[in-house]
This record gives sequence, C-alpha cells and structure tokens, in this order.
Amino acid sequence: MSIFLYSLISGILTGGVYALIGIGLTLIFGVMRIINFAHGDLMMLGMYGTYLLSTFLGVDPFVSVLLVFPAMFLFGGLLQKALINRMLTSVAQNQILLTIGLGLILSNTVMLIFTSDYKTVTTSYASSTLKLSENVSVSAPLLVAFSITAAITAGLYWFLQKTDTGQAIRATAQDRDAARLMGINVSRMSILAFGLGSALAGTAGALLMPTTYTFPQIGSVFTLKAFVITVLGGMGSVVGATLGGILIGIAESLSAVYISSGWKDVAVFVLFLLVLLFKPSGLLGKSRT
Amino acid sequence: MRAALKLTLFLIVLGGLVAFPRMVQSPYFLQLMILVFLAVAQGQSWNILGGYAGQHSVGHAAYFGVGAYVTLILLQSRQIPPWWGIWAGVVVAVIVALIIGAICFRLRGPYFVLASIAVAEIMRLSATNLKGLTNGAEGILATDIPSLRWGERVVADFSISKVPFYYIGLGLALLTLGVAWGVAHSKLGYYLQAIREDQDAAHSLGIPIARYKNYGLMISAALTSMTGSFFGVFVGFVDPPTVLGLDVSVQIMLICIIGGMGTLYGPVLGAVVLVPLAEALRSNAVTDLLVKVGAVSPESKVGLFLKENLSHAHVLIYGILVVLVILFMPEGIVGALRKLTARRRREVA
Repeated sequence: MSIFLYSLISGILTGGVYALIGIGLTLIFGVMRIINFAHGDLMMLGMYGTYLLSTFLGVDPFVSVLLVFPAMFLFGGLLQKALINRMLTSVAQNQILLTIGLGLILSNTVMLIFTSDYKTVTTSYASSTLKLSENVSVSAPLLVAFSITAAITAGLYWFLQKTDTGQAIRATAQDRDAARLMGINVSRMSILAFGLGSALAGTAGALLMPTTYTFPQIGSVFTLKAFVITVLGGMGSVVGATLGGILIGIAESLSAVYISSGWKDVAVFVLFLLVLLFKPSGLLGKSRT
Repeated sequence: MRAALKLTLFLIVLGGLVAFPRMVQSPYFLQLMILVFLAVAQGQSWNILGGYAGQHSVGHAAYFGVGAYVTLILLQSRQIPPWWGIWAGVVVAVIVALIIGAICFRLRGPYFVLASIAVAEIMRLSATNLKGLTNGAEGILATDIPSLRWGERVVADFSISKVPFYYIGLGLALLTLGVAWGVAHSKLGYYLQAIREDQDAAHSLGIPIARYKNYGLMISAALTSMTGSFFGVFVGFVDPPTVLGLDVSVQIMLICIIGGMGTLYGPVLGAVVLVPLAEALRSNAVTDLLVKVGAVSPESKVGLFLKENLSHAHVLIYGILVVLVILFMPEGIVGALRKLTARRRREVA
C-alpha cells in the first residue's frame, strides 16, 4: 500500500510539472492553431539554461527560474516574430514541418556546444525526502517544483481571466478575425502567446533539473508527452492540460512500478491513441467542428 | 515528342548508372551511390502516401524498422537468406499498415500526424523491450550473408564487394519509381489526389476514402519495408534508434519535401541533394575544403572545432534546410524549378 501511495504522490507531483509543458503547448495551439513540434526542445533549452546558471554561477536551480522564464519568453517571442508569424496563413503541414525543423536546429546546436553527454545539476537537497506519515515520504525537490508550478499556473489563470491582455489573448484564440475587428493586435497576441508558451516549457525544464538529467535529444520525448497531455485534456484548454499532465504523471509512475520502467512510455502512448480514437476532443474539451 | 525525349534521357541516365561500378572502383563513391538509391526509394515510398494522398505520416520508421528487423531476425535465428526475408518483411509491414490505417485514418490533419508518431514510438519502445525477439537495445548483428546462387553459379557474393548492393539498390530505386509512376497514372492515383485536394468533396463524389487511403498506405508501407530490409542487410546491423527512431521518420519525409511532394522527380532530386550533403558533412569534407581554400587554418581554434564537430552537424543542417525550404520554396525543388520555367515561358511569350 505504501508503495502505491508513494508512486501515486510522486506521479501527481511530476505530473504537475508536465502540466506546465502541456499548458504552454495548448496556449500556442489555442491562439494560433499551430502544433509546436519544437516544444520539448524549448523545454530542453530551459534545462540547459538552469544547468549553466547552476554550474558556472552557482545559482540554485529553483531560483534560476527567475532568469529562465523571462529569457525563454524573449526567445519564444523572437521565434514567433521572425519565423512563425510568416506561416500563419499557410497550410498546416508546412507549419508542422517548420516547427520540426526548428526543433532539429535547437537540439543539434545544443549538441554542438555541449556534446551529447548527460548533464546534471548537483544540489544538497536532491535526494532529501519529507515524511508524510509513518511509511510514506515524498521527494522534497519534487514537492518544491510542484508548488512553484501550482503558483505559476494560478498566476497564468488569473492573467488570462482577469487582465485586459489576457482577455485579448483568449479572444484571439476564440476567433482571430472577430478579435481583429474588435481592434486587438492579433499578431502581437501571437508573439505574446508563443513567448508565454516557451517560457512555461523552459520553466518546466528548469524545475525538473534537480531530480533528473538532460541531454540535447531529450526534447522529442517531451514534445510527444506534451501532445499526449494536451490531447488528453482537450486542445486549447488550460484546465484540461493541467488535468492531463497529472493523469500522465500518475500513469507513468504507476506503470513503472506495476508493469516495468521500460514499458511505461508505451502505456502513455497507448492511452494517447485510445483518447484520440474515442474522445478526440479530449476529456474536458468541447467537440469542435 | 517530349515523351520520347524524356524516355531517351531516362535511358541514357540508366545506362550510365548501370555502367558506373565498372568505371568507378572507389568504394567511397559506390557507398555514396547506394545511399542515394536508398534515399530515392525511401522518399518515393513516402511520396505515394504523403505526396499523392496528402497524408503526412511522421511515423514511416515503423515500416522501415519492420523490414530491417524481420529480415535480420530471420537471417540470424533461422538462417533464412535476405532475398526471402525481404518478402516476409513486406507481409508483416502490410499487416502492421492495416492495423495502423484502421487507427490513424479515422483522424485528420495534425491528429493524424500525432497518431502516426505515437504508433512508430510504440514500435520503437516495443523493439527495445522485447529482448527475446529483437535483442533489445543491443540490436542484431548480421554475421554473414549467404551468397545468392543460380544453380551452381554464384550470382552475387555479398562478402567481397559492395557491387551487388549497388545493383540491388538501383533496382529498388527503379521499382519504387515505377510503382509511383503506376500509381500516379491510375485510378488509384487520381482518387488519392482527389482525397488530398479536398477530402469532403472526394467523399461526396463517391470515392471510398478509407479504402483508398488504406491502399495507398499498404503500397507505401510495403515499399518502405523493402528499403528497411535492404538497409539492414547492407549495414549488417539494426538497433531501435537507427531504424525506428523519430529522426528516421523525419529524414524519410524530408527527402520528399525538399525535392517536392506529389511529383515523380521530387524524391529523386531530394535524395541527390540531401545524401551527398549529409555524407560530405559526416566525412569532414566541408572542413577539409575550407582548410584547402584557406578560409580557416587547420591548427586554429575554429579549424579544430569544425573538424571535431561538423561531422555531427548534418542533422543541424537538415533542420536549417527544412526551415529555409518551408519559408522560401514550400513546394520543394521541383516546385521552384516549375515556377522558374513558367516565368521564362511567360517572358518568351
């Protein structure tokens, strides 16, 4: 029973960080109807940012979020302005290919600079745990990562719901043309959305660093995971992505314990195909025409 | 007249290619040509589904891997020679295609792309985990390939030189080219193109969409599996990342996209451009050239850095190429050439 509880809790905590990646992807999809195949690579950039800050400047990985978030926001905004905004009206397959190309460029540039060795950050608290009860404990860095994720998600939700800019972003997601007619600067909202999406992915990478390692090609696995999360929750839904992330986290950690760690990713993809087939609009999504 | 000209040109090129191994002995160039043939065959196989039917699969590594694995498993554990194994691969690939088609063709656009990736990833992870069948992450090494005999005479001895692989590769490239030509000029091809242009309109005209998409996928999968078998035997080794990885799917697709989707010449041009480029980068030819021209000195920091790293950079160059092609010539080399000749014709007229 304690093993079950332990893996359930660590699944929820990791899933919370996954959710951040998914929210970024869903935001980008919602506003631009573009599926960002470079999303995991953006997360990988965040991981390397944290690695650099921690190894060479001694910045704590969790503190590095304060720098990684704005840096990735600027980078994402720049990508959108320079490349993706040109493609908004072209056919879907070309948009997909453009982001696949971008992902290849990012991961291979990082490989040229850092080689393909695994990189980790060392912290004093990497393996420290928090006792919840007699025989159930949780990893402390995961708990901190989850709390930061929760704070960021709440902040993002507030931003999207309550501020004027947030409403403008949501309006753009609902109907681009109508939003433009209402005087919203649609291309600026796209830049904002892609910047935010990249920042969230990069932050998730930074938060994962204390408990995991990174290498240049790690992105593709997380791109796929992010797809699974967003499709599960319904493309374009922030709440859905949060739920999807946690669900995937649980599925992964339970199947790692009860099936085998080699098959855990298979479980995720099978779940993904089942959702695509039987509820393509996602668990929370409204069916679109 | 133009058809006759085309045919003559084709026969001249073909004659040159058949005579090539007699004129050029260098194993390096032979290897390069074999890789070009392989890329032509891969691109053309993808083209049938992705180009003509407009179903952009990013999971073709699944069929490529099936071909490579089935052939090498039969060779290593049952001593079945690859010229029989290749057909076993085709059968398995078509069965896999039918299952994948049943799942993925219920989805459209980005969802189809995602599902095709997911299926290929499931195959890769399964190959890594089914250690008893595939030897897991260690992969399978083909120790020795029996020579092909006709009666008592040895037709092809694979252990001495690469020449037999050259002719098999050429044959494979011609086969895919022929099948693509046949598809493009048949009812199947017209139906597939109608589905690509407007699925709903095609449906309302009475084209059984699901069935024809599946025909396209089955042909594409069978041919891709043959290229996989060829690759597996040629390299003599398979493991999950080299034949089932996501980048394999992307590379197969790239050949076609850079050349021009839905055209007969597209994959050929794509292969002729991409393969030598990748090989030049891999073998450090670019660095050597820069040193020779005097752009960088071999002892300088830049020179050493390039020599050390540029050989790993061919995927980076792929990425840059994709972005440039998508931004500036979204219809590939063939599309750009057509635009160019169309403009010239207008100017003449």
